[in-house]
Amino acid sequence: MSAYLDTRVSLFANQLWQPTDFDALLTTSEVEMQHILQMHGLPQLASYASLDSRSLEQRSIAKVLDETRVLLRPLTDSARDFLLYWTGRFEINNVKTLLRAKMIGESPAELLSKLTPMGYFGRLDNEALAHAEDVMELLRRLEAGPFADIVRPARRAFEQNQDPFNLDASLDRAYYEGLAQRGKNLEPIAGAGFKTLMGYLIDRVNLVWLLRYRFNYKLPPAQVYYLLATSHYSLTSARLRELARLESLEDVLAALPKPWRARFEATSHRETASETTSETTRKTTNEYSAGCADEASSIPGVFAIMERVTSQYARSVLSSRAPAISRAFAYLVLRERDLRAVRTVLRGRHLGLPSDDIWLALKRTSHAVM
Amino acid sequence: MFRTEPLVKIQLLMLASEAPDAALELARFGVFNPGKMGGQFDIETQAKVELFPDSPARRYREIWLEAEKRLDKLLMQCGDLQPLQIAADAAAPTIADLEALNGWLKEVLVACLACHEGEERIQEERKHLDALEETLAKLEGLNVDLAELLRQDSLLSVHIGSVQASAVKRMTEALSMNDTLMSPFDRVGDWVFAVIAGPRLDQAEVQGVLAQAGWRELPVPAELRTLPQQARVWLAQERQRLGEVSGAECKVMQVLRDEFRPHLHDARVRLALARPLAEAAQVGVHGRGGLAALAGWVPSRQVAELQALLAARFHGRCWLEVRQPDAREATQVPSLVHYPGWLKPFVPLVKSYGVPRYGEFDPALPFALLYLLLFGAMFGDIGHGAVILLLSIFLLKKIGRLAWVGAAAGAVSMLFGVLYGSIFGYEDVLEPVWLSPMHHPEHVLTVAVALGVGFIILTLLASARNKWVSGQTAAALFDATGFAGLLFYLGAVGGLAVEAGLVVEGDLLHADVIGVDLWILSILGMVMVAAYKGFEAQGGLGERILVTLIEVLETAINLFSNTLSFMRVAAFSLNHVALALAVFALAAGLSAAAHGITVVLGNAVIIVLEGGIVAIQALRLMYFEGFSRFFNGDGRLFAPLHLGLATEGGYGKDAGKDAGKDPGKDSGKGS
Repeated sequence: MSAYLDTRVSLFANQLWQPTDFDALLTTSEVEMQHILQMHGLPQLASYASLDSRSLEQRSIAKVLDETRVLLRPLTDSARDFLLYWTGRFEINNVKTLLRAKMIGESPAELLSKLTPMGYFGRLDNEALAHAEDVMELLRRLEAGPFADIVRPARRAFEQNQDPFNLDASLDRAYYEGLAQRGKNLEPIAGAGFKTLMGYLIDRVNLVWLLRYRFNYKLPPAQVYYLLATSHYSLTSARLRELARLESLEDVLAALPKPWRARFEATSHRETASETTSETTRKTTNEYSAGCADEASSIPGVFAIMERVTSQYARSVLSSRAPAISRAFAYLVLRERDLRAVRTVLRGRHLGLPSDDIWLALKRTSHAVM
Repeated sequence: MFRTEPLVKIQLLMLASEAPDAALELARFGVFNPGKMGGQFDIETQAKVELFPDSPARRYREIWLEAEKRLDKLLMQCGDLQPLQIAADAAAPTIADLEALNGWLKEVLVACLACHEGEERIQEERKHLDALEETLAKLEGLNVDLAELLRQDSLLSVHIGSVQASAVKRMTEALSMNDTLMSPFDRVGDWVFAVIAGPRLDQAEVQGVLAQAGWRELPVPAELRTLPQQARVWLAQERQRLGEVSGAECKVMQVLRDEFRPHLHDARVRLALARPLAEAAQVGVHGRGGLAALAGWVPSRQVAELQALLAARFHGRCWLEVRQPDAREATQVPSLVHYPGWLKPFVPLVKSYGVPRYGEFDPALPFALLYLLLFGAMFGDIGHGAVILLLSIFLLKKIGRLAWVGAAAGAVSMLFGVLYGSIFGYEDVLEPVWLSPMHHPEHVLTVAVALGVGFIILTLLASARNKWVSGQTAAALFDATGFAGLLFYLGAVGGLAVEAGLVVEGDLLHADVIGVDLWILSILGMVMVAAYKGFEAQGGLGERILVTLIEVLETAINLFSNTLSFMRVAAFSLNHVALALAVFALAAGLSAAAHGITVVLGNAVIIVLEGGIVAIQALRLMYFEGFSRFFNGDGRLFAPLHLGLATEGGYGKDAGKDAGKDPGKDSGKGS
């Protein structure tokens, strides 16, 4: 079964995008664009001009779910459990959409059109949930369903303080705690590469949340810390407590563990790479390098850098001889990233934006060429 | 019974204000299946669809759905179970009526939910009190002056309360950032009771963490602070208070129920009357200005009846267009088949393979007969058949209609038991009316193969017919599963039978009527198949030749392997005998009582084990050797509009006489 999964992942990996592919997507004609999308297994996005951004996103997610279902076939036990849980992110987003809609009194019909169809992976009865009368009924129904462990703390927090922020933050924390736990269970099978990749992912989530809660929402350090996911990776709980006490973003970055600190510093001094990049890419890359020094000074910039690091590592896992589940996970991480970038390009083209602006937007979604 | 009922596509144009009533009349009619207007094979209507860009029923459906969901929740609260009484002349609610009804349902439901939520909280409080009672002893044993500890004017801020066990570690770490200590002292179930103490200065931050974690402060009463022994009295008082509050909530709930229960039946009726348009809207109701249009399928023999019904109801204020379905849209036309009552139990077994495509040969009747024949042939025994028959009747209430399949199988098994002379495995008690598998295995094998030949011939005929009806004339004539394949098969089987000495050639074919040798017939059939496959194949000459050769080989292997597959019928009939012999061999030499027990248990094992296997094998033969050859099974169920009353039918929820009929009313509608 491992050989089957390895083969499947290798076949899927051919669909991943290279910087030159995005070059072509940005500049090519409509007809050729359809061919490019077809080549990367995305024919359903070819009619992007007639799709709004939500439909585009839903189709991309549907693609990821289809591929996950294929990769899931040979898996059992903790590996299967992990991948199933990984897809649960989209359903948690649906839960958040449901809750927000109930708070503003949106009609069920409008609400249902906003939910991402989960197909095989759907565990919620969206129709019944959309027709809940209010937030409390919705929370009680959710608590009786498959996401009880995630929803219960959120409901209690919401009962104490009817703040939608508490709901979202609690749901996110509970979800990523569950993910980290499942990842930990899988590490003995999946190997060191998987552990490192999970570490980058959880560290990114924790650090970005810490920065947002602390400096955007101005929450006190203890509450910020409470809202982070328990981690046994490089940003340990003790380290997160120290970081939460600091007073500025720069102080936080300076107090990061050495490997992360070095990466943030290295970003400022990175030079252009790769002879294969096109003129457009080189030009934008130069601008990008010049802007890199500023990138680490903002929370979106920190997010972009950390996601880039994660993606680079995922590529190395994918092309290595790591265990099949590790490669499969790396592929899914990269595939989602690619699809986000493809959506950015398609929306940009549909809106008639200049290529340079679209490249900058890509940079913000961390899919720069380096 | 052998085919789906001929349908026509209708398109109804009406006033938008009368759309709910039009849909209601179509639901009462009972055999109208809503469909999309236009389509790739109806260019004329497709052009008209563009003239009707609005969706006048979309909002109607949204409101109806909301109201239905609310009604369902209310019915769960107070269950109005009386059957719906709908007047024959009741009109469908307008959108304004629906909105008003929906608004009323919302008000009632919100009030009910408030009571319900209150009751939930009381239950949680009760559980919390139960947990508190358990920790009371530990609280007393803290050996701390609680009064001193909980002083409001001290520099130390102290909280006593509970939190979910999963949050304890995180809370402890978070609170430590504010130099606040959390010390659990008891755990009951999922709840951990703890004391939190820290500098009073940072209380805002601490409160933030407590709120986030869902901390429940323990209301430590004054008595507990000074006289802990009074705590139990306090607990009892709290229970009583909760009981009173709960009682009050229940009374409020009861008053609400008494208030809205009488109106619930009316709400059910009105929503049932609105259902047809809401369901039609799901498929598509188009409109423009004051006009609305919808389309669907009705049996062609009932078109005149529908026209008369609409004329009587709307007096010319609607327009009905009718067209025949195109052969190419067979997969989109729903399938409506009527079955006699005795055949209906077998229909789910056919449906589990698929629904017959419109115009396709419906296999339910031959399936029923052949399935029973195969089962009986493989499991022929009077005693075993009788047990299955009686057991099926006994389990009728539990397993529903499927019990009749079991009963029929048991009866046929008994019949074959008479033919085989077998009763509870004893082969020597009765004389076989026909032949005994044990004594004439070669005959049984021959008969089984002959059965297989007959079966394959039937499937080839059915396949050719289906292809012909669906306009695939060339395939019907020249494909491997068409006439050419049948020709090849008949010739080859006949030739083999002659070679084996089973038939003298002159007996099989009168030379003066046809005048061809059987093998030549077979070769002719194969050549036709090869030519067809070669013509259909794509690619260069070499590739075509290769594909043709492979297809021809596959056709031959397929047909003969499927035929030989029927040898299992003989094998299982012999197997039945062999199992019985094994049981008797075990029982031989035992005492009388042990002999009896062994025989009884052995027969029970044979009935359960072999009965189950034979049932599956018979189904397998039907599906694999049969259905896969001619049955596409990709049809669509005929799903007529209805008023939400219980109905029965063949393919389709409400196909048949009772569709859409009001209870106690003989409208004479439906087929």
